[in-house]
Amino acid sequence: MSEAYFPVGPGLGLEENFLSLDDILMSQEKLPGRAESALPRLALALGQGAGSAEALPEGSKLEIPLWLAKGLHDSKRRIISVELPKIYKEAWRTVFSADANVVDLHKMGPYYYGFGSQLLNFDNPENPEIAQSILQTFINRFRRIMDSSQNAYNEDTSALVARLDELERALFQVGQKGLNDFQCWEKGQASQITASSLVQNYGKRKFTEVDG
Amino acid sequence: MEPAEVEFLAEKELVTIVPNFSLDRIHLIGGDLGPFNPGLPVEVPVWLAINLKQRQKCRLIPPEWMDVGKLEEIRDQERKEDTFTPMPSPYYMELTKLLLNYASDNIPKADEIRTLVKDTWDTRMAKLRLSADSFVRQQEAHAKLDNLTLMEINTTGTFLTQALDHMYKLRTNLQPGESAHSQDF
Repeated sequence: MSEAYFPVGPGLGLEENFLSLDDILMSQEKLPGRAESALPRLALALGQGAGSAEALPEGSKLEIPLWLAKGLHDSKRRIISVELPKIYKEAWRTVFSADANVVDLHKMGPYYYGFGSQLLNFDNPENPEIAQSILQTFINRFRRIMDSSQNAYNEDTSALVARLDELERALFQVGQKGLNDFQCWEKGQASQITASSLVQNYGKRKFTEVDG
Repeated sequence: MEPAEVEFLAEKELVTIVPNFSLDRIHLIGGDLGPFNPGLPVEVPVWLAINLKQRQKCRLIPPEWMDVGKLEEIRDQERKEDTFTPMPSPYYMELTKLLLNYASDNIPKADEIRTLVKDTWDTRMAKLRLSADSFVRQQEAHAKLDNLTLMEINTTGTFLTQALDHMYKLRTNLQPGESAHSQDF
């Protein structure tokens, strides 16, 4: 209520939120793929080859960011085809279903949930399993996030958030805020008047400067 | 909602005081208060009681549930049951904090009372978290919890609703039955 900036959250469905900073950063993550047809003169733009007019031969392997992959993906004109990154494949899915709490989701791409939701855009026979696996991972890790965010007061939380991905970190912050607000009220600080965070950044101007 | 707002709502509760001044009935928008006679107990809202106490114009009488024996019973019952037991007042946490901060000299064994109420609060919050976890695990559509107070709901509410939002969006990914967004160049 007392904040000046309400960030737009990530859209977790098949469409991203255009204005969400999290989604913009997430769509920069790279996907492995293959060029399905020869791409004239694009070798340099896609990171391979040295000349300015080289064509990319058919079948060469590419690493492209998600926004480019989504734009170029079309089932009729086959320009590129994408593969799943390894953490969404069968092997890692069984790891998640065994115990989702031990995985370091921050290392595996800090946008596991968002990126996984976007992957469902590309037609892939494994889509239902991927969607199910993402949902189950979230449910299994929920308890630990809730407990750690509601019980860590005034401590260094970097060890707790190190293995969470960005979505989970946002949830952790919300939980911490609830806890901090309550503790601060209980200590009686809620009724003390403090300078607003907006004004504190303005810097102090001396009265004489304003006059002169 | 912030804890300060919940405290504001809690200040409407009535509590008994013994004034040391006299005043006729006062007519306020919310209702009438008074008349105040020195030495005779009268019921007033907590906001007025705290104000008079700070000006040293009254003595507060603790509510009848704010007593070590009763609170121990409540705490033990809370620990035994799996569901939430009804609390003596829907604002027990706020009233404890307000009365113990401003009028601890009028309340016997104030520290023990504070500890007992905090124990009960911790037990209830743990139950709330357990219930939220089983709600999420089984992906239920709706749950009903009786006898929760506003302060407890307020502390965990934002986190729970956001997590459920995320879960809902991830769940709708499971339905593939949307029309494909295709653009022909």
